[in-house]
Amino acid sequence: MLAFENAPPFAAPLRFFLSAPLFAVLAGLLVAFEGPDIFASRWTPGALAATHLITIGFMLQVMLGALIQILPVVAGASLKNPLTVARIVHPGLSAGALLLAAGFMAGMPVLLASAAFVLGLTALFFLAVTARALIGVANTSPTIRGIKLALFGLAGVVGLGVFLALALAGGWSIPLMALADLHAGWGLGGWAGVLLAAMAYTVVPMFQLTPGYPARAGWGFPNFMLVMLVLWSVAVFADWPWLARLGQLGCALAGIAFAGLTLRLQGKRRRARPDATYRYWQLGLIATILALILLATAAVWPAAADLDGWTLIFGALLMAGGFLPFITGMLYKIVPFLSWMHLQNAGQAKVPAPAMNKILPEIGMHRQLLAYTAALALLLAAQFFPALLTRPAGLAFAAANAWLWWNLLGAIRRYHHHRADIEARLTTP
Amino acid sequence: MSHAKTPHVVDARYMEPPGPFVATMEMLDTLKEGEKMLLLLFREPHPLYKVLRQNGHDYETELLPDGTFEILISR
Repeated sequence: MLAFENAPPFAAPLRFFLSAPLFAVLAGLLVAFEGPDIFASRWTPGALAATHLITIGFMLQVMLGALIQILPVVAGASLKNPLTVARIVHPGLSAGALLLAAGFMAGMPVLLASAAFVLGLTALFFLAVTARALIGVANTSPTIRGIKLALFGLAGVVGLGVFLALALAGGWSIPLMALADLHAGWGLGGWAGVLLAAMAYTVVPMFQLTPGYPARAGWGFPNFMLVMLVLWSVAVFADWPWLARLGQLGCALAGIAFAGLTLRLQGKRRRARPDATYRYWQLGLIATILALILLATAAVWPAAADLDGWTLIFGALLMAGGFLPFITGMLYKIVPFLSWMHLQNAGQAKVPAPAMNKILPEIGMHRQLLAYTAALALLLAAQFFPALLTRPAGLAFAAANAWLWWNLLGAIRRYHHHRADIEARLTTP
Repeated sequence: MSHAKTPHVVDARYMEPPGPFVATMEMLDTLKEGEKMLLLLFREPHPLYKVLRQNGHDYETELLPDGTFEILISR
């Protein structure tokens, strides 16, 4: 009865979802291995490597894997061969993230240049196939237009990233810090932030039973974010620091408004019992607002960014506190839902699929959420007491993400078990 | 529930999937030739659109300021 026959095969998104937590484990182990020195500044090789293991290895993996799955559902647009796309993009991202992290750690130009090449080609391929699927799709909802604008953000962050990696590899003389900030702005604001908002417009009301996002906010946020990033980019190329700060302030305020609105909508939700996704989103929204207050403060008062730990705390709050919880919260809905949907299809309306909470029990997700929150607290505290807390924070972060991986793997094991059961019951007369 | 556009309304704004899909298909079955129904949702239901097109139904969608999508479906 449900029109799921055209959904991409489960194997397409699953490979991204199951490998992403392993990159976060690797980032945590790197922090534990490097110890207190890793947080001496945001420019240490270890900090750069850990950041990109998170942003490419975890965030980008899940985001691209989820897009491959979700485009038909939220935009009515299908990739031509989702499994083939997944088979190209997944190894590209995985190898690219590892090469880049190794390049930072070893300081080897050949590794940095290889990472730039692999990641640049992978992103270009993904952008081409998605653009092809989305061309001709009308902007009938803020979600569709948000996804389209986010793809410009992806082009921006990858373009700047490739340029920066090649500049580092080749020893080019460029305004490294201003460009690295802009690269982060396009990545976290233009790509991840806009994509997250575009998805939130659809999934927050759907999964958390909240009111919808007001249409004006839905159309306005991605536009405003992109305009601010264009201003910021112009400022970097024209060397106008005041305009760059204005762009940063605009991005921060837009993000705070989006997060505040989402918190307000969640306050009006009609689901009585808070689940792990809801709690992960609450954590993510609060951490994001705190991070963006730091960003806005530094935009108005630049000397703040020179205070010890300011930028690292901002990064930890926004990525480990904001984006990872949003993404994990969504994984905890998407993986059981896809398992249920594929089991429902396998049952051919003759054998019912088990309930979603049988595929991924709430208690396991809730305990993992507590472990992750503790790891995040340690990571933030390590900025104040690095000698004492950096290694425990790295280990706790690795452990919490290994637990996420274990939970997802458990869901897939149960999925296969139920699938075998359904197939046996269908063949038994 | 009734509406200016049609008396046949499914307000699925606080329903979990697949509730909206099931409720819409059930109401479509009860409509007579020439009648229309209205589905209210906080998202655009692309998988439903596809089924509607396959089954020869016309539909028009309007996004209201509060984020509600009004989908007017012809029998």
